[in-house]
Amino acid sequence: MTSGETKNFVKGIAFISPWLIGFLAFLAVPFAMSIYYSFCDYSLLQPPVFRGLANYRELFGDSVFWLTLRNTFGFAAAALPLGIIAALALAILLNSPVPTPGVWRTIIFLPSLVPAVANAMLWLWIYNQQNGLLNILLSGIGISGPNWLNANWAMTAIIFMGIWGVGHTVVIYLAGLQDVPRDLYEAAEIDGAGWWRRLFNVTLPMISPVIFFNLITALIGTFQVFALPYIMTGGGPDRATYFFTMYLYDNAFTFLKMGTASAMAMIQLLIILALTGIAMYTSKRWVHYQGK
Amino acid sequence: MQIRQFILGGLLIIPGIWVLLAPATNHPEIPPGTVIVEYWEKWTGVEGEQMREIVNAYNQTRGREKGIFVNYISMSSIDRKTLVSTAGGAPPDIAGLWGNQIPQYSKLNAFYPLDDLAKEYGINETTYKPVYWDMCRYEGKLWGLVSSPAAVVLHWNRKIFWENAQKLRAAGLDPGRGPQTIDELNRYAQALDVRDPKNPSVLLRTGYFPTEPGWFILHTGLWFGTELYDPGQDRYLIDCPQSIQAFKWLQSYPKRLGVSTTSNFKSGLGNYTSAENPFLSGRVAMIQQGPWIAIYLEHYRPELNRLLLPKNLEVFLPQAMRNFNYTWAADAFPSAVPGLKDVTICPFDVLCIPRGAKHKKEAFDFMAYLNERENMERLARLHCTPSPLMDVSEGFFRYHPNPYIDVFERTSGGPNAHHEPQSPTSPEVGGDLNAMLDKINEGKIEVEPALKLVQERAQQTLEIDRQKREIRKRAME
Repeated sequence: MTSGETKNFVKGIAFISPWLIGFLAFLAVPFAMSIYYSFCDYSLLQPPVFRGLANYRELFGDSVFWLTLRNTFGFAAAALPLGIIAALALAILLNSPVPTPGVWRTIIFLPSLVPAVANAMLWLWIYNQQNGLLNILLSGIGISGPNWLNANWAMTAIIFMGIWGVGHTVVIYLAGLQDVPRDLYEAAEIDGAGWWRRLFNVTLPMISPVIFFNLITALIGTFQVFALPYIMTGGGPDRATYFFTMYLYDNAFTFLKMGTASAMAMIQLLIILALTGIAMYTSKRWVHYQGK
Repeated sequence: MQIRQFILGGLLIIPGIWVLLAPATNHPEIPPGTVIVEYWEKWTGVEGEQMREIVNAYNQTRGREKGIFVNYISMSSIDRKTLVSTAGGAPPDIAGLWGNQIPQYSKLNAFYPLDDLAKEYGINETTYKPVYWDMCRYEGKLWGLVSSPAAVVLHWNRKIFWENAQKLRAAGLDPGRGPQTIDELNRYAQALDVRDPKNPSVLLRTGYFPTEPGWFILHTGLWFGTELYDPGQDRYLIDCPQSIQAFKWLQSYPKRLGVSTTSNFKSGLGNYTSAENPFLSGRVAMIQQGPWIAIYLEHYRPELNRLLLPKNLEVFLPQAMRNFNYTWAADAFPSAVPGLKDVTICPFDVLCIPRGAKHKKEAFDFMAYLNERENMERLARLHCTPSPLMDVSEGFFRYHPNPYIDVFERTSGGPNAHHEPQSPTSPEVGGDLNAMLDKINEGKIEVEPALKLVQERAQQTLEIDRQKREIRKRAME
């Protein structure tokens, strides 16, 4: 490295140093420490004591751990495709020539700006069995709505609530849709392709990188679901909505078992990594990048 | 160019240095040399402001004399914030936590023991009602002093009782008083249930429903003659015969009223801290609650507290007649065990000094000030609670805003007053038991096998905790 290059390197490092310091202090070091704590008995207030794989062993023998894992997988299996389909459908609708598109876009985007606590309080009222908006609407068509937050329905209620916040994803899809070259649609039309054919043979392949991006972010998001069920149901009734992250949080801050919580965080990381890896691997078959 | 860069850099650096070096708080009214005691408290609403009155009184009197200023900050999630700040080495000098956190936190060395300071101020077991003193101590040491105590009793709506006097008499019950046994409570409850005549599966009012609000439901065994945890044997008593009986009693309510009926009824109830509170709105005739319900009543339904005279004239009523000014009443929650009277659970708020606090002595001076009879009674009147102290003044009863304060004083000071379990694993066990109770109430599992499962898991949790302590002890040696 010449002296000029060294000078430039130092300058470059100096310029990115705020980020670098932040990354090291708030991400890299805590992450490394969390790996270590996952093998320790640690409670924040006492020095960690190494106990090998005991935290992991205890978790694997813990019925609540498996229950939260099952709840989280169940939630992800339903909420992930539902969210992607709902967001995509809304984006396609918004991309079609509708009157006052700006108003519609605002209406769809607005709920995603509502803070989680306000959102939860709002939905508690919507789902109220006796006076809730949903059951009033259902009674209008002769259906007697259930108690949405009981053990049988609470999970479904939380899954459907997720659609409320798809505004961000819709915006990303919309940007992708508007990037699809018009001439491809024209060519397809000349070839006699109808609306569905154009959707499956032109639109979806062309926005597949956007779908892939949203899939990965939604995958991570659904496995970290926390705020809404925490506020709305507290994990109940009968732990029907008790998710992995909620149990992790309880282990850390209610039971003061930081070692166990760290072990859970590592397991969560591995699960998300594995699922992301599978998605990446299969993407070769269904994600089409322009120019490739 | 270089000069410009230098000036620009300087302009950016100066505010940074100022932010780093400027004092964290600025109190122009505090004389130099005053020790500032940082006090974090959990109450963010009216209760928080009421505590501020006591803090202000201290700062203006004893604090000024001694050169101590208590900087009172109310905040949410106080326990998490205290935990993190203690771990980070910058805790407050006083943390206002919940009494049931003492075993868990003290076990982790989160607080300073206060025995020496308490001795210096003459505070000992004779100062407090035993139930509060015992819970402030853990493994032979004192870890905190009470700030706001409570006791849980039965409250009932006298208006509903009067309106249904005929029904109650027909059931062989006296509408002029509350139930005195569990069997009576069941009969009162049944007589006061109201279903929708058009749709009997809809419950309009319930006489009593254990999970409404159910804040102390896990301690139901106390009224059946058992604790949840035996500290002597370090063993939970979840599946003992009395506990099984207690949970069967809890289950009998959804069984009798219908699982979906009760679930629907509960989901339609209004916000607890509003005029729609089910007890205040008359949708539940009897509830198991602490003294704070009197604050809700005065705040949201004041007309229920002015039956004969306006509030400001009530003090002229003879003490024995004061209760007639209220459309509600309170007495000890009835027990299932013959002869077992005045059973109660006493949750409370506590002041502790986190390890690493900079002004331990000064912090304790404020805590001792609060625990002087006059100041404690002032806060108790503001919070509508009983006093945790053994010695209570005559005026305390006379001017207390809760007309049933004698009931709370009697039960919390009595031999059947219980505190929450002194086990560091009780938050986990409580979570398991709550989840199992949901299952029991929904009829998904019978009581005995359900409690057996929770008991096994609770013992396993205790065993893991014990193993961890042993490993830690060996590692520290």
